[in-house]
Amino acid sequence: MKSGILKMASWGLLAVVLLAGCSKKNDPDPDPDQNEKYVVITMSENTLTKPGYATAFDSKPIGNISNIAAGTLQGMGMGGWRPYKNWLFKMFNTSANEKGIERLNVSANGVVTSGGFLKTNNTINGSGNFVVQNETSGFYWDADKPFMIQRFNPTTLSRTGEWDFESNIKKTDEGINNQSIGQHFLAVKNGKLFADVHYGKNTGAQSGMFDDFFSGIYIAVIDIATGNYEKTINYDNTGGIAYINDNEMYSFDTNGDLYLVTQGRSAIGGKSKLLRIKAAATDFDAWEINMDDIMTGGKFVSIFADNGKLYTTIPTVALTGGPTGNINFSEIWEFYVIDAASKTRTKINDLPLVTNPGAAYGAQKLDGKIIFRVNAPSINVNGYFELIGSGASPVFNVSEGGSVSGVYKIEVDQ
Amino acid sequence: MNAGLTYRRLQKNHRNIACTYCKLAAFLIAFSFVSSVAQAQEVTDTFKVKELETIHITSKSATQQAAEQSIKASVVDTRQAYQQPATLTELINRTPGMRIRQSGGLGSGTDISINGFQGKAIRYMKDGIPVDYLREGFTIASIPVNSLERVEIYKGVLPVALGADALGGAVNLVSRRAQPRYLAASYEIASFNTHRATLSGFYTDSAKRWFLGMNGFYNYSDNDYKAKVKVTDPNTSNQVYDRVRLFHNRFTNVYGEMNAGFTNRRWADELAFTVSVFDLKRQQNHPALMTDPYGAVTGRQSSVAPTLRYKKSFLQKRLFIDQFLAHNTVRVQRTDTLAGRYDWYGAFYSIPGRVGESRQPALSDIDYTNTTSRTYVKYLLNRRHALEFNNVFTEVRQKGTDPYGPKLHNTDTSVISLPAIYKKIAAGIGLVSHFWDDKLETAIMGKFYHYRSSGTEAWQARPILKTDAVTQTGNNQGAAIAAKYNFTTQSFLRLSAELANRLPDQEELFGDGIWTVPNFNLSPERSLNINLGYRVVNTRKDALEINGFYRRTKDLILLVPVQPPYAQYHNIQNVKGFGLEADGVYHLNSIIAVNANFTWQDIRLFKLSSSADGWQNNARLRNTPYFFANAGIVADIGRVAFKEDRLKLYSHYSFVREYYLETIPKRLEPGGFLGLFGSSSVNTELIIPNQHFWTAGFNYAPSGNRFSVGVEVKNILNQDLYDNYRVQKAGRSFHCKINYTIQ
Repeated sequence: MKSGILKMASWGLLAVVLLAGCSKKNDPDPDPDQNEKYVVITMSENTLTKPGYATAFDSKPIGNISNIAAGTLQGMGMGGWRPYKNWLFKMFNTSANEKGIERLNVSANGVVTSGGFLKTNNTINGSGNFVVQNETSGFYWDADKPFMIQRFNPTTLSRTGEWDFESNIKKTDEGINNQSIGQHFLAVKNGKLFADVHYGKNTGAQSGMFDDFFSGIYIAVIDIATGNYEKTINYDNTGGIAYINDNEMYSFDTNGDLYLVTQGRSAIGGKSKLLRIKAAATDFDAWEINMDDIMTGGKFVSIFADNGKLYTTIPTVALTGGPTGNINFSEIWEFYVIDAASKTRTKINDLPLVTNPGAAYGAQKLDGKIIFRVNAPSINVNGYFELIGSGASPVFNVSEGGSVSGVYKIEVDQ
Repeated sequence: MNAGLTYRRLQKNHRNIACTYCKLAAFLIAFSFVSSVAQAQEVTDTFKVKELETIHITSKSATQQAAEQSIKASVVDTRQAYQQPATLTELINRTPGMRIRQSGGLGSGTDISINGFQGKAIRYMKDGIPVDYLREGFTIASIPVNSLERVEIYKGVLPVALGADALGGAVNLVSRRAQPRYLAASYEIASFNTHRATLSGFYTDSAKRWFLGMNGFYNYSDNDYKAKVKVTDPNTSNQVYDRVRLFHNRFTNVYGEMNAGFTNRRWADELAFTVSVFDLKRQQNHPALMTDPYGAVTGRQSSVAPTLRYKKSFLQKRLFIDQFLAHNTVRVQRTDTLAGRYDWYGAFYSIPGRVGESRQPALSDIDYTNTTSRTYVKYLLNRRHALEFNNVFTEVRQKGTDPYGPKLHNTDTSVISLPAIYKKIAAGIGLVSHFWDDKLETAIMGKFYHYRSSGTEAWQARPILKTDAVTQTGNNQGAAIAAKYNFTTQSFLRLSAELANRLPDQEELFGDGIWTVPNFNLSPERSLNINLGYRVVNTRKDALEINGFYRRTKDLILLVPVQPPYAQYHNIQNVKGFGLEADGVYHLNSIIAVNANFTWQDIRLFKLSSSADGWQNNARLRNTPYFFANAGIVADIGRVAFKEDRLKLYSHYSFVREYYLETIPKRLEPGGFLGLFGSSSVNTELIIPNQHFWTAGFNYAPSGNRFSVGVEVKNILNQDLYDNYRVQKAGRSFHCKINYTIQ
C-alpha cells in the first residue's frame, strides 16, 4: 500500500475534524407587523419534565397546524400555563422544568423566549403555586418556607416579601408530617387572599399529594391590604383541594362566584367535589356537586365557569392509577356542562373521549368563545373545539409538536 | 511485527534474518505455552503458527488479533497509556464510533454510545464475563488504565463467547495479566485533590502449576472544580449565573481483587478462585440536572464477590470448557435526611420539619443479590471449523429497607422491602469457520433469551398499592453472521449482520437506587444491525479503517429525564439509521505520528404509530450525538538524555457537534453539509453545544519501562464542557503520574 494514500487520508480526516469544530449561527428570520398573537403550547412527550413547544401565530390558528416553526420556543414544563392578561406564566421553567414562576416573552416578530424566572424550592410539589392580583402584586408558595405566603411583583417577576402564618396554622397532631399554606390553592377575591391550609401525612416529594390528615379541606382567608390572617374556613368530607400544577382547578364565574375542585381522598378520587364560595362571601356555601353521585371511582380535574355554566370533564370508567393506570393518558374523559343553579348535567355533543387535561385547561375562552382542549390520539384529534349550541366543532388541530396543552391570545408591543 | 510475512519477504524487508529466526523461535515457544493453557481462552488471547508450503508466520498480539477478527471490534491498547494520566473514558472516546458521556468528574456516571446505540444496549464484560454483578464497583468511570491489558469494543454483533444480549455492542475489559511474573504500581496526583493508585501483580511457579494474582486500585477526588450554575438571589428569588466551586462532590472508590489457582493439571487447564472487594462512596452535589445544590446527599456501594472459573480441554484439545460462577450481594445505600438545604456557596439553611434535600428523602439500605453462571463450550470440528456454545444465567434479587421510602398506601409497609426479582438466560450457539487458506473467516450464530422480572415502582408521587406490582416475562431469539475477507496480509473487508434482541437489564428495570428510577414496563429491544468495514495497514503501521453501519431497532431503550431529579429508561418505538466512521494513523517519520477519526451517524425515528407522535418520524434520535471526531499527534523520542530513555509527547483534540436533548423535526435541523453547520431555527435551551476538548502531555521513562513519569493537562482551553444536559464537567486540570514495574 502506498504511504501517500494513507498520508492523504489521515490529513483529510484531520481536516474534517478541524473544520467540524467551526460553526456559524443562523439567526431567525423575523416577520413583523402584528401586535396580536395567538400562542399555542404543546407537550412533545408524556414525561414528567413535560418537554414541548410554544409558538406564536399572527392570526387565530385554524385547520391543521404545526406548532414548530422558526421562532418557536422549545423547552420543558410545557404541560400548561397560567396566563394573566398579556402575560404567559408557567409554574415550571423552560430550561429544566424547575419549580417557580416563569414568564414567556413573545416578540413582535413572533419569537417566543423564556423571559424571567422566580425560583422556588424544586423538590416539593406545589412549590411555585401562585396567583397574580394585579400588575405589581402577586402571591406564591415556596416549600422552603411552608408556613409563609411569598409576595412578588409580576412585572419584575421578583420576590418582594413574605407573610408568616406559622402561629395561625401550625398544628402538632401526631401523624401530621407536612403542613403548608398555599401549596395547592391560591385565589384573590374582593381584596382577600384565599390560600389552602394543608395538613398531610406524607414526607418528601409526596408531601401534600393526596395525603389529607383531616377529613376535609381548609382555606385561610387573608386580608391583602393588611396582611392579617382573618380566619380559616373548611369544608368537610372531601380532600385533595385543587392540585400542584398550572391548572389551578378553580374558576370565577361571570358574577364573581368562585368554583373550585377537590380531587378527593386519593389520586383516583373518592369524595371529589365541586365547591363554591359566593361572590360576596368569604366562606363556602352549602352548594356542592359530588363526583361519587355521578361516576363511582371518578373525580373532577378541571373546571371553567361562565354565565352560570360549569364546564368540566367526567370520566366514563373508574379511574386507575399506577404505571399502567388510565387516569392520565387514556381516552376516558367526556366534557359536560353543568348548570350551577339546577346542577343539571349535559354532555357536550360532537366531542370524542379525551385524555386528562392534566396541567392544561380543559375548557377556556378564546375570542369570546368557549373552547375545549380535545386530545384523542386514537382518532388523530389533538386540538381545540369551539362550543356551538349544545355541540362543538373543531377550531384547529395540532399535527406537529405533540399533545396540545394551551392556547391564548395576547397583545405584544410593536 | 506485521502479519504473515514469508521468509522471502522477511529477507527483503528486514535487515536481520537472524533476528527473525529468534522471533520465530520465540513465537513457537509462546505457542507451546499458550496452546496448553489458552486454547481455552478465546482466540483473541493466543498466538497462532501454521505450516504451509512455505512457512507463514502469523505473529499478532492479542490486541491486534482482537482488532482483526471477523466480528467488528476496536481495541484500546491500554498498555500504551500506562505511563500517561489518561482516564479510560478519554482513551475510549478517541476510538471511532465511540462516545462516552460522563456526568461530572472522576467516578461520575457514564453512558457509552456505540454507533448510535447507548445505555445498556452496550454490555460490559470483564474478561469475557458480564460484569453486572459488580454494579458500580468496576466500571469504566473508575477503572484506572493500568489495571487493564486492553479494552475490546465490539460494535453490533458479539462473538458467541461473550454471549450477552447486547444490541449496540459490548465492551470487554481484559485484565492485566500479560507477564508470567510482575508487580506494577502507579500513582497519580491531579487537580481537585485527585489521587489515583493502582497495584497489580502476578506470580506463577516455574512449572506453571499454580499462580497468585492481585489487582487493586484506589480513586479519590474532591471533584471540587468550578461550574457555571444558576444561583438564586435570596431576596428576589431571581437567578443569575455564577461560577462556583462544587463543594459536595467527593468520590472515593477502592477495589481489590485477589486470585489464586492451578494451571496445567490433569483435571484442569486452569482453576481460578477470585475474591473481589470494593467500596464506593459518592457525595451528590446536585440532582440529574445541575439545578439545585445538595450538601449532604450521599451514596455508597460495597460488596465482596467470590468467583470461580474453571477451564479444561478434552479430546486432544478439540473440546474446551470454560465455566464461571459468581454469587455475591451488592449493598447499595443512599442517605438524604438533611433538615434543610444548601445554596451553591455551601451555606446551610435550616427548614424545620423538612427531611431530605432531594425529592426523595432516604436512609435506604438495599441488597442486590446476584448469581451469575456462564458456561462456554467450544468444539473444534476440524482444522477449519469450530462449534461454540455459550450460556449466561443471571439472577438478581432486590430487597431493602428505607424508613423514608414510599410505603404501600395506608400501610407502614415500605415498598422497597417488597422483593423484586430479575432472571435472565442468554444462550448462543455458533460456528466459526475458515476458508481459502484463511482468506475468508466466517461466524454464524443463533441466540436465545429468556427473562422474568417482577417489582413495584414507587418513585412517583401517588398512592402505591400492592397490586401495582408488575411482572414481565418473555422469550426472544436472535441470529447473526459475520465474515472477514483478507485481500492481502495488509487489508481486509469485514461484514457482519445481526437480528438481535436485548432484554432490559436489572438497572433499567430496578433503577440504580439513587437517581435512575424503576420502569418495570420496559419491553425488550429488537434490532437489525449490519456493519461493513475495510481496513488497510502498511509496514510502517500506517493504517486506515472505514466502517459503515445500518441499524433498525424497535423499542429502543433510552434513559430520559423524568421528574427532576430522576431519570428513567423508556422504550422509544422505532429507530433506524446508518453511520460512517473513519480512522487513520500516519507516521510522518520514525518519531511523529498523527491520527484522526470521525463518526457521523444518522439515527432517526420512524414508523411512530401514535398520531400524536407521527410528526417525530424522521427526526433524529434525541439526546444522541451525531457527529464527533478526534485528532492527535504523538512524538515518541528515544535516547533523549540516556541510552535507554524514552520521551513521548502527545496532544489530543476531541470535538462533539452540538445536539438536542429533545426532538426537533428534520426540516428544522441545523443545515450545512451533514448538518454540521449552523443551528436549528427553533429557539431551544435544550441543547448540548459544540464541545472542544484539548489535552496535551508527556511521559518520560529514563530506563526502559521500569519507571516512568507522565504529566498531562486536560481541557487546556478551560472550556465549559457538557456531556449531559446542564451537568458541567471539570475545567482545565493538571495531572502527574508515576509508574513502577518489576518484571
